[in-house]
Amino acid sequence: MRWKPRGGSMPGTSSPAEGAGVSASGARHPSWQARDRGTGRWLVSGPPLAYLLVFFAIPALIMVVASFTPPGEYGGLAPLFEDGKANLTLEAYERLAGDPIYWEVFAKSVVYAGITTLCCLVLAYPLAMLVARSPRKYRDLLMLLVILPFWSNFLIRVYAWMIILGPQSALSRAVNAVVEPLGFEPVSLLFSSFAVLVGLVYVHLPFMVLPLYANLEKHDPALLDAAQDLGANAWQRFWRVTFPLSLPGVWAGAALVFIPALGIFAIPDILGGTEDTLIGNLIKQQFLETRDWPFGSVLSIVLTAIALALAGLAAWVSRPRRTA
Amino acid sequence: MRRLLPLVLAAALAAPAAHAKDVLHLYNWNNYIAPETVKRFEASCNCELKQTYYSDNEEMLAKLAAGAKGYDIVVPTGNALESLIKQKKLRPIDKAKLPNLKNINAAYLDTAFDPKNQYSVPYAYTITMLGYNDEKIRELGIPMDTWAVIFDPKILEKIKGRVTVLDSSSELMAAALKYLGHSINETDEKKLKEAADLIKKAKPYWAAFNASSYIKELTVGNIWVAHGYSNDIFQANLDAQAAGRKFRIVHALPKEGAVLAVDSMAILANAPRPDLAYKFIDFMLDGKNSAELSNLIGSGNPNNDALQHIKADVKSNKAVFPDQAVLAKLEQQKDFGAKDRRYRSRLWTEIKVR
Repeated sequence: MRWKPRGGSMPGTSSPAEGAGVSASGARHPSWQARDRGTGRWLVSGPPLAYLLVFFAIPALIMVVASFTPPGEYGGLAPLFEDGKANLTLEAYERLAGDPIYWEVFAKSVVYAGITTLCCLVLAYPLAMLVARSPRKYRDLLMLLVILPFWSNFLIRVYAWMIILGPQSALSRAVNAVVEPLGFEPVSLLFSSFAVLVGLVYVHLPFMVLPLYANLEKHDPALLDAAQDLGANAWQRFWRVTFPLSLPGVWAGAALVFIPALGIFAIPDILGGTEDTLIGNLIKQQFLETRDWPFGSVLSIVLTAIALALAGLAAWVSRPRRTA
Repeated sequence: MRRLLPLVLAAALAAPAAHAKDVLHLYNWNNYIAPETVKRFEASCNCELKQTYYSDNEEMLAKLAAGAKGYDIVVPTGNALESLIKQKKLRPIDKAKLPNLKNINAAYLDTAFDPKNQYSVPYAYTITMLGYNDEKIRELGIPMDTWAVIFDPKILEKIKGRVTVLDSSSELMAAALKYLGHSINETDEKKLKEAADLIKKAKPYWAAFNASSYIKELTVGNIWVAHGYSNDIFQANLDAQAAGRKFRIVHALPKEGAVLAVDSMAILANAPRPDLAYKFIDFMLDGKNSAELSNLIGSGNPNNDALQHIKADVKSNKAVFPDQAVLAKLEQQKDFGAKDRRYRSRLWTEIKVR
C-alpha cells in the first residue's frame, strides 16, 4: 500500500514526499515519537517558527494596521494616535469596494496566473514523467538541468526573452514570414500579453516540475504492469492509474506556480505591452508613485486573501476520499 | 570568479583599515557622476565616496520614509526635494561654506521648491522629450517638433507599434497636458480627465509603457520614437554609434513645452558627515568637475563655469541646452498633495487597464 496517496496535504505546505504517499510523519516509529514529546521537538521547530513569526506574521500585521490608517501627506502613514484618539479609517477599503476597476485588475491577474498554471502543468507533466522513468543514474543529472536556470538571475533571464521575442529576432521573423503572406498584419511578439505569459510560464516551470517529479518517481511500476495485465491500454493506464496517484503533486505544483504568478510585477513591467497591468504592478504603484501606503496595503491584503482562498479550495478539491 | 576572489578577500581584509578612513555616503541616481570625478574627489578629501543608487525619486523617498539612515547627500528632483523639505529631512545649507556656489546660473536658483536655496544646490538637469530614429523618421516625413507625434492618431498611424512612452503617470500626463496647452501641474479634475482621455485614444498605437529598456530598443532600431529623458536619448545614440548603426538617435524638444527636472544636492538632516558633504558639494560646483557629468551622460548643466569644459557636440544640442525662449516653456513638476496624487493614480490605473 506504499503508493496510496495519503491525503490531508495542503498544496504549498506539504512536502512533495509526503504528497507522494511516503510517510513523513513519525507514525512508523512510535517509540521515537514517544520519547521526544517535549524539548527536542521545540528545538527543531522553534527556529523556523520564530522565523515565520518575525518575517511573515509581524509584517502581515503591520500591513493590516496600515490598511486602516489614513495616508500621510508626504507618503508613509498618518500617525496612529492623534490627540489621544486612535486614528483609524475604513476609507481605503471603501475605495476598493466602490470601484470596479480594481476588481478588473484582480480578475485579470487571476486569469493570467490560471493560464500560467495550466501551461506549466501541460509542459511539466511529460517532462517530470520522462525524468521519473529514465534510468536511475540519469535522474539526478536531469533534475539538475531542470533547476539549472536558477543559477542565473531571474531578471537577466526575463531580459533574455526581450531579445528572443524582439522584432529583429529569428523567432519573430519566422512567425511573420508565415503570417504576412497569409494577408495578416505583422505581429509583434514582444510587449504583448503573449510575451507576459511566455515569461510567466518560463520562470515558474521548474516549480511545477519539481513536485511532480518527486511524486511520479515514487510510483510503483508494478501497478502499471498489473493494469496492463488486466487489459488497460496506454491511455487508460495513464488516466486511471498514474494521473490519480499524481494528484497531490499536481496540486502542490499548481499552488507553487499560481500563488507567485498572481502577485508578480517584474514580468509585466518588462515584457508587457500597454494592456498588461497586473495587481502586482498596481500595488507597486501605490507604494511608490502614488505614495498611498494604506491603499497599497488593502490591495496586498486582498491579494493574500484571494491566494489563501484559492489554496483552500484546492486543498478541499484534492481532499482524500475513502472510496476508490 | 578567479579574478573576483582576491578582490573579495582584499576587501574583507581591508575592512577594518577602511574603518579609520573618512567615508562620505552619497545616495545618488544610477550613473550620475563620472568615475574620474569620484577619483579626484577622493584624492582631494582623502576620504572614500560610497554611493548607493536609486532609479527614481519615488524609490528614494520610499526608502527614506521607511527609515533608511547613514546617507550624507541625496540628489532629488525638484518635487522630491520639496517633499523632503516639508518632511524636515534636510539640513539647512550654510552658503559661506560653498564659495563655488557663485558658478550656478541664477535661472536655476531660488525656485518654488526651495526658495532662496536654503536646503539645496542645483547639480544637473534633464528634460523629458522625444528621441527618434532619424533614418526612419526622415523616410516617413514626420515633423518631430510636437507632442502630436505620440498623441495624434493621424501621425501615429505611420509609426504604430514603434513608439514607447514612459511608464510614469506624472511624465505621461505632463506630456498630454502640455499638448493640450495646460500646465503640467494642473490639478483641475476636468483638465486631467481630458489628458487621460487623450492618452487612452493614443494608447493602441504604442508598443509599450516603458521606463527602462527603451534605450536599448531605440539603439537596435525596434522602436523609432520614444518619450524619454534627455540623458537616456543621449545614451541611446552613443550606443547606436558604438554598435555601428547607420541611423542616429536624435533629441526632439516639442514646441508645446516639456518637463524640466533639475536635480539638486542636499544634505540629510541626520547626515553622519556634514563636513565632508560640504566639501563634496563645493567640489561638484567647480566647473570642470560639473562638466564631466555632462560629457559623460549628456545632462543639462546649470553651472556657468562648466560650459567652457563641456564638449562642443554636447553643448551645441539645442534640445538639452535650449535658448531662453524655449527654456521659458519648460516646467518643473511640483509635489502633489495626497488628494491629487490619488486622483491621478485613479486615472492612471484606468489608462493602464482599459
